[in-house]
Amino acid sequence: MAEQRVLVVGGGLAGLAAAMKLAELDVAVDLMSLVPVKRSHSACAQGGINSVNDTTRQQGDSEYHHFDDTVYGGDFLQHQPPVKEMTDWAPRIIDLMDRLGVPFNRTKEGFRDQRRFGGTLYKRTAFAGATTGQQLLYALDEQVRRCHANGKVNTFEGWDFLGPIIDDDGRCRGATAQNLVTMEIRAFPADAVVLATGGCGLIFGRSTMSMACTGSAASRSVQYGAHYANGEFIQVHPTAIPGADKLRLMSESARGEGGRVWVPRRPQDSRAPRDIPEEERYYFLEERYPKYGNLVPRDIATREIFNVCVNEGLSVEADKQCVYLDLTHISREELDRKLGGILHIYEKFQGVDPRIEPMKIFPAVHYSMGGMWADYERTAEGGLAPDAPRNHQTNIPGLYAIGECDYQYHGANRLGANSLLSCIFTGLFVGPCIQSSIESLGESASDAKFDLLLRAERSRKEMEHKQLLERPAGGENPYLIHQELGQEMTKAATVVRRNDQLTAALDKVSELHERARNCSLSDTGMWTNQNVMFTKNLLDMFPLAKALLKGALARDECRGAHYKPDFDMPGVESQDPGERRRQAEMWCDKFEEKNRKWLKTTVASFDAHGEPTLSYEDVDTSLIPPRPRLYGIVGGDIIEQVWKERSISQSDPTKPAEQSGNGAAETSRSPVPATS
Amino acid sequence: MAATEPSFFVRHEFLIRRLHSLTGIVFGAYVCVHLLTNASILAGSEAFQNNVYRIHGIGAILPVIEWVFIFLPILFHAFVGIAITAGMIPNNQNYPYGANWRYTVQRITGLYLFFFVFYHVFHMHGWFHFDWWLKIAEPWGGAQFKPYNAASTAGLALQNTLVAFLYALGVLAAAFHFFNGIWTAGITWGIWTRPLAQSRALNVCLAGSVVLGCIGLSAIWGARQVGRGEALEAARATEDRMYDFRVEAGLVQADSHKRSEDEESGSGEIAATPVVETRRSSDSGE
Amino acid sequence: MTATAPKRESFDVRILRQSGPGEESRWETFRIPYEPNLNVISVLQKIAATARTAEGTATTPVAWDCNCLEEVCGACTMVINGRVRQSCSALVDKLLAESPGEIELQPMSKFPVVRDLVVDRSRMFRALERVQAWVPVDDYYDRGGGPNVPQELQEQRYPLSECMTCGCCVEACPQYGKVEVHRRPNESQESYEQRQAEAEEGQFLGAAAISQTMLFNDHATGGMIAAERLDALTASGGIQECGNAQNCVAVCPKEIPLTTSIARAGRKTTWHMIKKWFDR
Repeated sequence: MAEQRVLVVGGGLAGLAAAMKLAELDVAVDLMSLVPVKRSHSACAQGGINSVNDTTRQQGDSEYHHFDDTVYGGDFLQHQPPVKEMTDWAPRIIDLMDRLGVPFNRTKEGFRDQRRFGGTLYKRTAFAGATTGQQLLYALDEQVRRCHANGKVNTFEGWDFLGPIIDDDGRCRGATAQNLVTMEIRAFPADAVVLATGGCGLIFGRSTMSMACTGSAASRSVQYGAHYANGEFIQVHPTAIPGADKLRLMSESARGEGGRVWVPRRPQDSRAPRDIPEEERYYFLEERYPKYGNLVPRDIATREIFNVCVNEGLSVEADKQCVYLDLTHISREELDRKLGGILHIYEKFQGVDPRIEPMKIFPAVHYSMGGMWADYERTAEGGLAPDAPRNHQTNIPGLYAIGECDYQYHGANRLGANSLLSCIFTGLFVGPCIQSSIESLGESASDAKFDLLLRAERSRKEMEHKQLLERPAGGENPYLIHQELGQEMTKAATVVRRNDQLTAALDKVSELHERARNCSLSDTGMWTNQNVMFTKNLLDMFPLAKALLKGALARDECRGAHYKPDFDMPGVESQDPGERRRQAEMWCDKFEEKNRKWLKTTVASFDAHGEPTLSYEDVDTSLIPPRPRLYGIVGGDIIEQVWKERSISQSDPTKPAEQSGNGAAETSRSPVPATS
Repeated sequence: MAATEPSFFVRHEFLIRRLHSLTGIVFGAYVCVHLLTNASILAGSEAFQNNVYRIHGIGAILPVIEWVFIFLPILFHAFVGIAITAGMIPNNQNYPYGANWRYTVQRITGLYLFFFVFYHVFHMHGWFHFDWWLKIAEPWGGAQFKPYNAASTAGLALQNTLVAFLYALGVLAAAFHFFNGIWTAGITWGIWTRPLAQSRALNVCLAGSVVLGCIGLSAIWGARQVGRGEALEAARATEDRMYDFRVEAGLVQADSHKRSEDEESGSGEIAATPVVETRRSSDSGE
Repeated sequence: MTATAPKRESFDVRILRQSGPGEESRWETFRIPYEPNLNVISVLQKIAATARTAEGTATTPVAWDCNCLEEVCGACTMVINGRVRQSCSALVDKLLAESPGEIELQPMSKFPVVRDLVVDRSRMFRALERVQAWVPVDDYYDRGGGPNVPQELQEQRYPLSECMTCGCCVEACPQYGKVEVHRRPNESQESYEQRQAEAEEGQFLGAAAISQTMLFNDHATGGMIAAERLDALTASGGIQECGNAQNCVAVCPKEIPLTTSIARAGRKTTWHMIKKWFDR
């Protein structure tokens, strides 16, 4: 048997963590990345990374609370065992990153400092300035460089993953990839392929994501039969700086320090903002939410900003959606002291001083909670079985998915500072699982018997490439189609979703898909042809875009980031105690009904043309029973009371609250039988 | 020179560069002494001549000092410096920052000084003191300075405006090159590391280079004043008087190499000649 | 504020193009309709979409590198109006105020051109390998946290750790020369990288790598191989090549105190050299 190898696709936090862990286990690793790994999108994360720590533990915090916050924040759409495992690992992961030299901010005594983030009461978030993602990424990049220097990891930077190579038994035996410089197409034999390829923000045209986040690797895998889950769950950040090329994040701390959000009452008032008198300004968040004002939760802020621009037509500018985020009433000294860093970013990219002129901001697509469907093996305690080959394996044996490109950890909504954690955790955790997987194979993808398979797949990709280059001139322009796709997706499938709009968008996207098949290239060369690579990426955006739209259209409820006003559940308005009680009971009935119907993972499978078909599977909620998210809802107190009474009466005192072991949810959740 | 044994220079690049920095400081210190001595001409030819006698009074060990502290360091510094300069890729037009200009000017002044010092040593000292060589060099304008007629010969040698201009440039270049070199050495050796310390050190160094430049220029001006008209006559008379006195007192050995040619027939000749004859063979290799 | 400047319909962008390594370079001019708040990336995106020169002749889209577009990934470095910078944070309004006629884009001059504005900066990553820019931990198992770190040390290390290896410092460095190795026909990536590494031996490490040695020597565990890093710094092509022009610190988009790192490395290597001489 030839030496067994693992191919890790993607050099962000998850991919690097997996590569370094595998190298430590003495598994030969090929690490492939579109960009030099140090330039991966993980560098963009600012806030921090969550874990229980010595301080919060003494305030009553525990791994369980972190687990609970994550599940509650995600509106219970996650399978709970992987989340539990992740939150259990979290303190160890921060310790490891600390050992690797990450310059975490320090207390006076020299301990790691922590800050509080959304969705929790504890100061759980370790951070390194305003660039935690960058610092964590570099620490792993350095370790992988060390592995590379020791000959344990081969790195292939500047390669684009074209698809998995699957043998007749349905097992993944490697991948094809194309070099972005030489345009060479190569088949990489691998006994396991790990996709750590991040999110798919570019489907929305512009987002807070990097230009490499096209989702194409995931799309190319689903076109080979892998499943995609919860695609409709996309996190939209309320405040981003709109740019012609990208939407850049503006931290929530701007509002935290007193920033006020407003629009002129007269639509597209042409006066300079400071010339608009106070009474002609519409501070819509403060007026509609007198209690929380500008600090309403993220999803509400996002919806209101979106609503005021799109539905009420009050955007500050006629041709661009945006509202004012105003800090000009705060003294320059105070701003520089508290917000210097982020104001500097605005100034740098907009060329305008936010201390003098209000910032113009708009919500932007930020994170894909959904992703490649991946499996796990549960232990009796409710965690993940270590070393189990099924963990993080997609429905194609030998093909794994980790990091943002898998769907397992964030449910319907991701908590701030949990994404860095899930990336590093999955990378480290999957290492031993893959090792035990390939050890059980007894053969290597580099064995001569797979030569033909590998060569055939490479020829197929070369053929496809050649056909694309030979398209007749005068066809569609891929860049313009991408713009149209982005506009369509942003309009229909971001903040507020309506079934009529989603249906129309689905038609429009299908039409764009057809047109995209007729793209012609302005560059037909065979050297560093970015034109052809872009066109390939564009074509592969459509299957995921369709899955996303279909998933959103089908899911007639509100859950986490997925908001459909037609299916919203308003709170309890009545003041009369008896009526309040009755309404709360009704509310809880509706909530239970909604969960029965929709507390399910959306699983998309695709045909050869990239058309998705949806199915649903149950969610393992055996560790923490679902409960309503009542943050900010009218009459939340009475609903909570009724819900508590119900859950006490429902749980049989003779049985433990937890469902026993690998329950029904476990067996029904896998859309295909696990074969390994 | 690197071509003969490249591995040695590659292997010891760090050490060579540190020695380059050190030799610069050693030679620079000498230049300071040199220019200060020169500037004493402003106090009169007598004061200047006295200083020259003091230096030459060191005696037989003087060549050793000259080689160890002046000639070897500057030769090493100059040739390594040329090699360093050869590798520069100046970009001042696109990056017109102060430090970048100083970087480029440091190298330009270095190159100028390389040629200037060669010229200067030829012009004043003559490079070698073999008789046959001096016969060639002197008509070409070399070996103009006679230590025992210090002020007058220096003054005469600088009467040509072009020569004086080259000297003025040389002095300014040396003043800048030395003090800017101290500033960069402070970074190279890690003496000033942070921006504030570096900017303070820079101010001190720039002030130093201005002062040294002024001292050097004033010496040139002073020498030119001494080198013409009545002042020249007076200086000659003073120098001759001092020479005669010292020779009579046995404080110096009579040495025609260290005196002006046209003074050979003058008052110093009678006492000096026999000694010159006996000493010439051993002294000429200086 | 900038948008209220005299109305302009369009502006020209002049780009130095090169179709591949070793090919002749040529200038091409593109006319871009003016919009307020453009940056150079969005200009290049527009050029890619139209692929027509100012004269209206069809051409290939200009190739360039980018990823994050918010100045943390380091990909989009190029020479804009003669000065090296990130093209994502290079705003058109400011560039036109700087030189009203047109905007000029060139690839970095210290790295081999791959195509148009794309250059091969792998030398910088190999330099990080030369100085062992990592913390040499035993393993990735759970062994508790790292050592306690005084705030002051964290504040010293953090800015150095923001280096995104964008290459601005070495592009502006008058001591950093280009090393170009041409790929042989059908040469494998491994052998090409090997030959590149050989050609770079003895060539200057550059400010970024020197600064990284200080970052890791300052860490309690990282410092355990401080001597090896100082050996790398004093080897041929090491810190001694620095000419103190200090352009590196002036052009660094992250404002990293590179010259402080260089001076500190100077101090450490001095002691290291003396120690090596007398301590054996």
